[in-house]
Amino acid sequence: MHRHSVGSFKYHVGIGSLDRIATREDRVCVLNILGGESSDVTPVGHAYSGGNVVFGTSPGRSGQVLETPLGGIPVYNNVREGLEAGHRFNCGVVYLPPSGARDGVAELIRVNPDLRKIFIVTEKLSVHDSREIRALGQQNGVDIFGGNSLGVADSYHQVRIGGALGGDDPGEALRPGSIAIFSNSGNFTTTIATYLRMSGWGTTTLISSGKDVYIQYAAPEFAFALANDARSKAAVLYVEPGGYYEQDAHFTKPVVACVVGRWKSRLTRAVGHAGAMAGGDDDAAAKERWFMEKLGVAGLFTPDNPVVSAKGAVVTNIAHIPAALTAVMRENGARPDFAPESSLALKPWFGSSAGLTLPAELDLPVVEAVAPYGEQIARLDRQIGVVLPRQAMKDASGASQMDPKTQVTSLHGVSMLEAARLPMEANLVLALLREPASENDRALVNAAIAAEVNLHGRPELAAAQAAREAGNAPNMVLAAAASLVGPRRAETARRLCRLLTDRFAEARLGSALDEGFDLGRIAPDAELSGLLVGPEPDPRAEALLAALEARGARSVFLRYLLSLDGHPTRDAVLAAIATTLAWGPLMRKRISRLTAESLPWWLQLFGTLLGAALPAAAHGPDSLCGVPNADLLARRTLGEIGCLALLGREGQPDDVFVFETLIGLLLSNGPGTISAQGCKGAVSADGPESPERVHLNKAMIGFLTHAGYTHGGNGYEGIAFLIEQFRDANLADPADPDHGIDLKALADRTVADYARYKSDRKTLGSLDIQKIPGVNHPVFKDKAVNHDPRELWIHDLLAARGDYNAFHAYYRTLVQSLFEAGVSRTVYCVNIDAVIAALLLKMLWRPYRDGSLSGGALETAAFTIFLFARMLGCAADADDHINRGRNMDTRTPASQCRFVA
Amino acid sequence: MQVTGMLHGAKLLHFAGFPTSEVLGPDASEEEIKGLIDRHGSVFVKPVFKGGVGKKGKAGLLGRAFDLRTALREKERLYFVEHRHGNAVAKANGVTFEGAVPAEHEVYFSISDSTRFRAPTMTLTHRGGIDIEELDKSEVAQVPFDPLTGLKAFVVANALSELNAPKALISPLVQQLPKLWELYHGFGMTTVELNPIRMRPDRNGRLTPVACDFKCGFDRDDPRWQRLGLPGHLFSVDYSDFEAEINQLRTYQGQSDVCIINASGTILAPTFGGGANSLVTEMLGDDAIISSDFGGNPPYEKMKEVARICFKHWLKQANVLFIIGGKSNNTDIFETFRAMADALREHVGRHGPTPLYIVAGRGGPNLIRGMGALRDTAEALGLPYRLFGFDSDMSEVVAYARKADQWMKQGGREAVARALTIGEPPRTDLKQAAE
Repeated sequence: MHRHSVGSFKYHVGIGSLDRIATREDRVCVLNILGGESSDVTPVGHAYSGGNVVFGTSPGRSGQVLETPLGGIPVYNNVREGLEAGHRFNCGVVYLPPSGARDGVAELIRVNPDLRKIFIVTEKLSVHDSREIRALGQQNGVDIFGGNSLGVADSYHQVRIGGALGGDDPGEALRPGSIAIFSNSGNFTTTIATYLRMSGWGTTTLISSGKDVYIQYAAPEFAFALANDARSKAAVLYVEPGGYYEQDAHFTKPVVACVVGRWKSRLTRAVGHAGAMAGGDDDAAAKERWFMEKLGVAGLFTPDNPVVSAKGAVVTNIAHIPAALTAVMRENGARPDFAPESSLALKPWFGSSAGLTLPAELDLPVVEAVAPYGEQIARLDRQIGVVLPRQAMKDASGASQMDPKTQVTSLHGVSMLEAARLPMEANLVLALLREPASENDRALVNAAIAAEVNLHGRPELAAAQAAREAGNAPNMVLAAAASLVGPRRAETARRLCRLLTDRFAEARLGSALDEGFDLGRIAPDAELSGLLVGPEPDPRAEALLAALEARGARSVFLRYLLSLDGHPTRDAVLAAIATTLAWGPLMRKRISRLTAESLPWWLQLFGTLLGAALPAAAHGPDSLCGVPNADLLARRTLGEIGCLALLGREGQPDDVFVFETLIGLLLSNGPGTISAQGCKGAVSADGPESPERVHLNKAMIGFLTHAGYTHGGNGYEGIAFLIEQFRDANLADPADPDHGIDLKALADRTVADYARYKSDRKTLGSLDIQKIPGVNHPVFKDKAVNHDPRELWIHDLLAARGDYNAFHAYYRTLVQSLFEAGVSRTVYCVNIDAVIAALLLKMLWRPYRDGSLSGGALETAAFTIFLFARMLGCAADADDHINRGRNMDTRTPASQCRFVA
Repeated sequence: MQVTGMLHGAKLLHFAGFPTSEVLGPDASEEEIKGLIDRHGSVFVKPVFKGGVGKKGKAGLLGRAFDLRTALREKERLYFVEHRHGNAVAKANGVTFEGAVPAEHEVYFSISDSTRFRAPTMTLTHRGGIDIEELDKSEVAQVPFDPLTGLKAFVVANALSELNAPKALISPLVQQLPKLWELYHGFGMTTVELNPIRMRPDRNGRLTPVACDFKCGFDRDDPRWQRLGLPGHLFSVDYSDFEAEINQLRTYQGQSDVCIINASGTILAPTFGGGANSLVTEMLGDDAIISSDFGGNPPYEKMKEVARICFKHWLKQANVLFIIGGKSNNTDIFETFRAMADALREHVGRHGPTPLYIVAGRGGPNLIRGMGALRDTAEALGLPYRLFGFDSDMSEVVAYARKADQWMKQGGREAVARALTIGEPPRTDLKQAAE
């Protein structure tokens, strides 16, 4: 059965010369051609080799083709089918998983008598299968390469078979020359070829041998074929510990052997290459010795101690290979194949010292990368903003996340507890720009929103008022207004953002606040100028510009706008504000261009929703709730404006503080909450894969329709409970610690009432016992004394500020009383809902007491503040979903839905 | 993954029907030990080590007892004994009691895959019982054989003839030794060694080979060993929590091989490719926390999970995150770098900023997009970094990473930490300004 063997080997070797390993005549069949790796790699190799793959197999996929630049490669269920279809091949490539590789080898050998070579790419072959593969090949006279090989390549023939040598552009590494490479590492086969090429040495045949216990085509056969290859003047071997293969290799041409792994003798097991285990007399030290003896050198080659002979050199660092080879070949009177293409000096392609002063040896300047990479980097630099990979975003978010352990939600990495300390405009910036706000950002946001809040004479106000009068809850009142802030309202500003970003990026603007930026660098753009300025003054634009000036807001874009002839339009000012806000995060690739261009729309929406919370009567031509428009624009913060929209009057500093604390606490509760699901569903239904078609106002309406009396409105439960408890207590000012009320007695009375209620219900046999709102928590329980960490955090924050809240103090007393009376087994925690109720009621207590605020209005206020906060959190989730999601990705497959009878 | 000693060895040999000495485990009762001594005249008391520990006899870790009292004393001496062999220190946990087998002849036998012959190879000598290396080569037969037909009786017979083994040994060994091939080939072993096999005479003087010590190694890439139903703890000693966590991701699609080098190292180096692993492990030495090979084109999800686990265990102590590999052939650099960058960003998002210097050296498909993803993350996190292409000497890149580590150790870490703190949002100030 043995075919003709070459040489005097005790086993079969069929290949006599390296130039026969990968030839233009070889025809290839690839097993598992449609597998993940093969479908990437095979088309590249096929094209590089002039179309050497005749067919591939993939059980059950007969009739398909693998597309390549040279046309499709047919796919059959098995090898026999391919042969029956008339294809002929002499090389088999095995891309099967480890459990199937041996059977693949058997199939190739048994059904194709023309087979001469097999290349096994499969990694992690068992030794059991390798030994049988060896025997199969030997019995049938087939040369096998691998396993765990990245195949072979021939730079002269421009052929690669069975793997990916040279990566996605083989020509980049494989330049014809005089050096053969045999390497235990597939990666280093290409890396060494690249290093050689840079130093003026081209290659002939490259073999990635693999480094399993069984190396089927090993160093002795390579040495034999090297001797018979007229093209190859010398060889480079990359050798790892383990195995006696190299000991039996007899070289007749110069060799540079790179032996690595001395250090590995300290490891207790192989990492990466199964056969590369050191320890015996085939470890790295032994192999260095073998090669030194073979090559007649007394030591290792290093640049400082270049030990070589005409026979070769031994190195232990692949970077020393080119120098060692050049020195060895000099001994043989041979010069490099061509002029060195480059040097191996350190060349950072990317780098930053992050503003630190680094020592000179670390502070290497970034250099331009070699072609074609330099151009790719330039292209990358021209790409503005991040581009996120798309994936199904059902129940997932890249914006908000609730930690199930602590129950604390974070938005873009900032916990709600931290957010509670931020002003509202900073939380707006955080939600949409994913970064904390600078003072300038805050000035811009405050002015932009203030310019949108007064809806006097606008249809949004009429729609909101009509919705209110029809008996709708505040969420639907706001939704009515939002529905009118449609895409056309933001169209021009969005376009302007896009044009401004393009022009200023071309001019390489670094900081949007750069006072020294030369506006002359902006290329004239008639379309842009035509949109930025108009022939007549726009009063709203002028008011906003005046407000920005009054606030001392800085912006290169505003400066540019004002430098143009004509009168800035309202959209232009808004776009300039938005682009200023977005510029930094955009350049840092924290946000996408899409997010930047959406910003004007979001700003209009937020302003409108805040304004729509106030009844129509509050909106005058010149003022809102009595606050002059100019004052709103030039001086009020978003927190103050929000407080105004909530209370219908200007809030005291303490009110604003409580308001902003609540906004921060309520921003988000993660993507699983109903409100977040509402806005994400709206985005998903529009189809985020065509993001320009997603309507932001509809996303807001999605969130608003997914809030209601039990989600959002339930903050009132706690308030109602507190009002009930304090009904007869005659509390004048909950902020006054000397309120004169015995909270302990009050709590004891509540507990007694509750204990009686509980007992009555039990007597009646009912287990449906209502709980006291604001105490206990499903996570923070089971200790003797329990705390909701969020409540503790807020309590400490307020205590540090010297704030007192009688309602909060009452709650803390209440949980103690419940325990003392035996109603609870442990001291329950006061939960975050209680804190919210206590804070809100404290803010509204006076108007409620003096009758200017009805019970109904109190409930509306509790709901509205939730909506104000959550509109920011939901905008963050909607924007994230637009950037990451797929069309209709929030749907639930029918198989996971239940029918309930 | 090794099994040594007769406690488990005897059970494995029973699978193949190979005779063994009688063995009792550490939980044997005094009556059982006494019975064993009564039946065999004496017992050997041997400490039980996890994994493979050689040269126990020479280290005096072998007890022999002719009575119960001595047996129990030896048990006490050897139960938790420590054994140093080369670099490895092993601690026993238990002892075995093995019935003595009277014999004139001791045989050494092993099967392993020889890289000289590139075939499974039997090593056999009738002068066993001592270290095989101590024998002259002429006294040892090393015979490769065809794995498709297996170890056949004639192979053993030929070898014994060539060794001029006593005639009485040949027939029983020819009958029994081929059974061990089934054990070796059928259960995913890479080596099996019986030394000594003692040739016990029966009443008629006919000899039976009895295995008195056992050693085998299993191939971690071969699931056949799982058929043996060996207790999992036998191999558990091999892995730290970190390694075990990473190993759960071990599939043929993408490597996930790791080994802890120095649990208090300061360079966290996810390495790609076996070659790069050798180079980097060697050059970083004890500065490296782990030795790893994550090449083989891992998909994004797997790479991110691997990186997440690495960061969870080691990022806090790391000065340098050093991502290094040669010019990859098929590993998609965008997928792998993006996965690691995302994992890093998420780690920092969850655990807060950590002072870190990022160094990478790589080549391959989608290189620039991959480096771009890493750059953007480093920029977003405010960390210093240098990313080198494949045209930089890889060993110089490793040296650069070491210099970065040195600088971090000499005050750089504090400088980066300070810069990160300064870069933190001045939240309190903002709030105060708002008030």
